[in-house]
Amino acid sequence: MISIYLHGESWAHRLPASLKLLVVAIGSLILFRVQDFWVFLPCLAVVVGLYASLGREGLMQLKLLRGLSMFLAILLGLHWFSGTFFEGVTVVLRLIVMILAANFVSITTRMDDMLEAVQPLFKPLQWLGMSPRRPALGVTLVLRFAPHMLEVFSMLREAYQARSGAKNSWRLLAPFAIQSLRMSDNVAEALKARGGAEGLSR
Amino acid sequence: MALWPKKKNSEITRVCDPDLDTYAVFDDVSLTLGQRPVLKNLTLSLSEHRIGIIGLNGSGKSSFIRLINGLRSPDNGTLTLFGAPSEKAEPELPRHVGFVFQNPDHQAIFPTVEEEIAFGLTQLGAGKDESRIRARAFLAQHGCEELAANPIAELSEGQKQLICILAVLVMEPQLLVLDEPMTSLDALAMRRIFGKLMSLPQKIIMVSHDLSHFEEFDRVLWLEDSRIRMDGPPQQVLAAYKDDIQLKSGTRMELAAL
Amino acid sequence: MADRSLVHIAFYAALIAALGLVPPVAIPFLGGVPITAQTLGVMLAGVMLGPVRGGLAVLLFLFLVALGAPFLAGGRGGLSVFASPSVGFLIGWPIGAFVAGWIMRATNDLNVLVAAAISATVGGILVVYIFGIPGVAYMAGLSLPKAAIASAVYIPGDLIKVAITALVTQTVARGLPGALFTRS
Repeated sequence: MISIYLHGESWAHRLPASLKLLVVAIGSLILFRVQDFWVFLPCLAVVVGLYASLGREGLMQLKLLRGLSMFLAILLGLHWFSGTFFEGVTVVLRLIVMILAANFVSITTRMDDMLEAVQPLFKPLQWLGMSPRRPALGVTLVLRFAPHMLEVFSMLREAYQARSGAKNSWRLLAPFAIQSLRMSDNVAEALKARGGAEGLSR
Repeated sequence: MALWPKKKNSEITRVCDPDLDTYAVFDDVSLTLGQRPVLKNLTLSLSEHRIGIIGLNGSGKSSFIRLINGLRSPDNGTLTLFGAPSEKAEPELPRHVGFVFQNPDHQAIFPTVEEEIAFGLTQLGAGKDESRIRARAFLAQHGCEELAANPIAELSEGQKQLICILAVLVMEPQLLVLDEPMTSLDALAMRRIFGKLMSLPQKIIMVSHDLSHFEEFDRVLWLEDSRIRMDGPPQQVLAAYKDDIQLKSGTRMELAAL
Repeated sequence: MADRSLVHIAFYAALIAALGLVPPVAIPFLGGVPITAQTLGVMLAGVMLGPVRGGLAVLLFLFLVALGAPFLAGGRGGLSVFASPSVGFLIGWPIGAFVAGWIMRATNDLNVLVAAAISATVGGILVVYIFGIPGVAYMAGLSLPKAAIASAVYIPGDLIKVAITALVTQTVARGLPGALFTRS
């Protein structure tokens, strides 16, 4: 399955997904209240320590920060201009800690487990008379459609290239939408033929 | 169109009788899609073990078989399925009627073979883990256990169609409806899948453009211009159909007939 | 038919994901600000599916991202994107799709091209920035005007996406009218 999940058997992988989610959610709420620059340094050390506990592959995941570095530098620059440099450093540190902590949960939790952990949140759907399975089925369908769409697109691109010589064009978007919409109608029909999203167990 | 329909409590009592021999009775049934009439005044009943459907593209074949599993509902006339009026039978039909589509890519919903098979079982009310175990056992029973963990996208066309058929069979339907199930297969895969289908105890209704499939069938329906042109044993219907095509192809190419 | 709704919602969620894989185009005269195709999907979902299903499609997409699917442009995904300064924009997406779909419905008597352009501009740009800019300000500790200026570099790219949304919607309206739920 397409995911940023990092395969492994570490202690963090074995923790229940719901616990990890809860800790990160509460931690983030607390960090938002904190304005003191010094508090973030030990926090940062702890979070980096978490990644280190996964071994070399864990530390490699810190590459996430490289994508952010440009943005964080601009942010720091903006604060420096406005004469709030120290506040800027606090903001940047807070962002780094929160982003790394959240990402740590994502890389150590399988998508299935994550889905199962949040499944109780969909219980209220039952009161509306629909199956709480719907969101999960939706997730499955998205994961199924996404690669198929790329296939449809490359097929159209070939057909376009064969007759025009050009490779890409926004003109392909509309036929792409039409073709893949037809496909989705077929899938809808197939789903209905096997009992639909609500199932047959009632 | 309501986004999420409320569950109807009236559906708890079953209306279909799956053991009924005559599973479908059409009485003056018509169907229109948009402005276009696709089936006109059909009156017939279906009970045979193997029924073949032939006809040119656009003759109404797909709509006809979709009426039988509730994917379409008639606009006029009465359609009785497993002893119940079609609109009442509709929610129960996926239990009794397995539907196999022309293109397996359109039918397979889940990423792996095992999940695809297990889906039918969860649909019938089995729990997640139980479904997985029973899906594996079912695959083994049909000699496909080594495919269980494979991504469906990486199977061959023949394997894909086989999995789609198994995904429907696992729900233990009484009737199997197949919409040109072998169009995308090569000659060998076609033969294997056809052999598999013919070995099944289920009743079968199948649409195909390959007339040789129907030689051993009990009954063949020939649809033309939204009506039944001919209905009878395969020898007669297939021969008449072949003659008709011969006749039509001899005349000047008409765009309207293409 | 509810199953069809679910499939269409999933379809547009997947479309937004697929558009995230389109390589970003850097426009030189804008100082090389990268333009991703992803918000195009958000606009299309609203304009084509209507308010409720369009909004749900975007929510489903964000749900997948939260579960760990790397579907945001640049291969980003997981919970960390909701801890980043752009979180306001992500919150604005489903609401923007809802508003776009609502306007598309309300302007039923207008020409499809014009109606889609208006819907995508208001829903896909105005609404999204109304949520996005305060998000940047809050998460980055900036003043609102500064956050607005920092975010404004993306607007020219968004206008291009509005144009594409309008053209695609018009083409679909001609080629597969049944798929334009806001008009049927």
